[in-house]
Amino acid sequence: MAKQDKDATFVGDSRVSAKRIPNISPSYSDFPGKNEPFWPNFLLKEWMVAAVCLVGFLVLTVSHPSPLTDKANPNDTSFVPLPDWYFLFLYQMLKYPWAAGDWVVLGTIIIPGIAFGGLMLAPWLDTSKERRPSKRPVATGLMLTALVGVFYLTWAADHEHSLSHPSSKDSGGAGHGSNATAPAPADTSFTADAVWKAQTSCMGCHGKNMEGGMGPNLQKIGEKYDATQIADIIKNGKPPAMPGGMIKDDAEITKLAEYMATLK
Amino acid sequence: MLQKMYDWVDERLNITPMWRDLADHEVPEHVNPAHHFSAFVYCFGGLTFFITVIQILSGMFLTMYYVPDIINAYESVKYLQNEVAFGVIVRGMHHWGASLVIVMMFLHTLRVFFTGAYKKPRELNWVVGMLIFFVMLGLGFTGYLLPWDNTAYFATKVGLEIANSVPLIGPYVKMLLTGGDIVGAQTLSRFFAIHVFFLPGALLGLLGAHFVMIRSQGISGPL
Amino acid sequence: MGDKREISRRTFLNYALMGTGGFLAAGMITPMIRFAVDPLLQGHAGGDKVAVGSPDEFSAVPKRVEFKVHTKDGWYESESTLSAWVTKNDKGEILALSPICKHLGCTVDWNTSPEHPDQYFCPCHLGRYTINGEHILGTPPTASLDEYETEVKDGKLYLGKVKANPRPGVNG
Repeated sequence: MAKQDKDATFVGDSRVSAKRIPNISPSYSDFPGKNEPFWPNFLLKEWMVAAVCLVGFLVLTVSHPSPLTDKANPNDTSFVPLPDWYFLFLYQMLKYPWAAGDWVVLGTIIIPGIAFGGLMLAPWLDTSKERRPSKRPVATGLMLTALVGVFYLTWAADHEHSLSHPSSKDSGGAGHGSNATAPAPADTSFTADAVWKAQTSCMGCHGKNMEGGMGPNLQKIGEKYDATQIADIIKNGKPPAMPGGMIKDDAEITKLAEYMATLK
Repeated sequence: MLQKMYDWVDERLNITPMWRDLADHEVPEHVNPAHHFSAFVYCFGGLTFFITVIQILSGMFLTMYYVPDIINAYESVKYLQNEVAFGVIVRGMHHWGASLVIVMMFLHTLRVFFTGAYKKPRELNWVVGMLIFFVMLGLGFTGYLLPWDNTAYFATKVGLEIANSVPLIGPYVKMLLTGGDIVGAQTLSRFFAIHVFFLPGALLGLLGAHFVMIRSQGISGPL
Repeated sequence: MGDKREISRRTFLNYALMGTGGFLAAGMITPMIRFAVDPLLQGHAGGDKVAVGSPDEFSAVPKRVEFKVHTKDGWYESESTLSAWVTKNDKGEILALSPICKHLGCTVDWNTSPEHPDQYFCPCHLGRYTINGEHILGTPPTASLDEYETEVKDGKLYLGKVKANPRPGVNG
């Protein structure tokens, strides 16, 4: 317990000092040079900056609804996973052969461990009194290298993802856009025509009776597309997962597309 | 009236010294953007805190509708976003704020690093700051699963596989987070608990320590 | 002497305080820790093997079988359908491959690509595998098809858990 002055007085039987400090702000002349009191001068400036940020932020939230893709479906294996953007650089690193397979420990533990461990211990690794970045080239250089690496890996991950899966990127950003393509519930009593059952490469993803699997359910595909559109999708594929050119014979494509367009 | 209430409380608790200490501490010229525009880099810490406040508040309100359950989680998020008035904004604040807080924290970390502000005597504050950084990343990772949509589900699966590849402890860490053999009902409720109770608790403690240390050591001097 | 006693009493009280504090902390935390790590200590489910037919039904040509497994996820229980490509070689060894492509998880099919007969073929990104599930180098997959644990009991073939296929990739 702090030693109390012998003639200190208290409020009642409490330990709160009876001596009151007047609650007055000091004069501005008490602050040397261009120093400012925190309240209200500096806080006002901080809050003005915050107000500008808040307005921008609210505009963002209103103009870009948060994305929500389809409900998690462990069997939807055509979905290409992508972590949140600030983990992309770690994710991308694991794709490289020197940080994957037998070397995965390098990618998951050693490199991130050295990077974050080094950052954590920075005060003990960089012990000079010097604070200017130009006067401590090692620390500055390492940080700049790490920054370039992180930016490059993040860019590379996004770039690769958008190259191979152009549409899954759209559905990630466009919010509820993907709800429109949510698969219809499979109708187990539905039996596909022989023209469908001859197409084993289609059945692999869309199921024996078009009930869907990796690919969407096609039992009512005629509601969405007409025969020419279906034929076009069969020929050219549909991102992200469906390849084109699985059926080579044009007559067969036409026959299949006409059949599928009747499914409503 | 207000003055009387203040005096009444002050008489009993002597709050003036605390209040004057907070209000009157000097803010030096070199961090004040009004004097040097380049000093805006000193705003990032404050903005990180500001967005953290938004995150805490919007998160609290989101739990009024959200249900951490594999059957209902997705439906409840869809409902609160599409049916509830201003749902787009409240979920948007939490969703985009999660990214923004990482950006701000990243910029704040870079400012502290490049101004050498982590040097003696501020080593401990730097370490606490790094811990806050990890807690924030943990919040991002656990929060990403909660809407229980495909993006969330598969990204979390990848994340858990990465955890699994850590030698020795990896499989245990994965099991502890997954709460079972598959990413499912138990995973979701675990992630919810970690996201809403464990990590925010740690975050508040670390933030308190961060601020107390700044207040008692003062801001680092000009370069 | 008096000083020394004073110190030892204080030390004793400090120890007692630490002990009591430790007891309080342990008493509170132990049940909670055990509660949290329960999934780690529970035996792995999924040991059940599912019968998919008689071994005689299978030959050197892959045959696709479908079977249902019971999945238990905490308080949710459900049935899910799995499938396998089963072959039996000359020595009578049975190999049951998972049809999930190791590239991005599409479903592979046997012998559906006219250019590449007698291979497993994935229609999504044209990945190919040999009859033993070995991935063909130069196609997208980077691992061989997973296999199921197999067991022949009472004249029936049982399939168990999926495990990694140890076979390396081959040039095709």
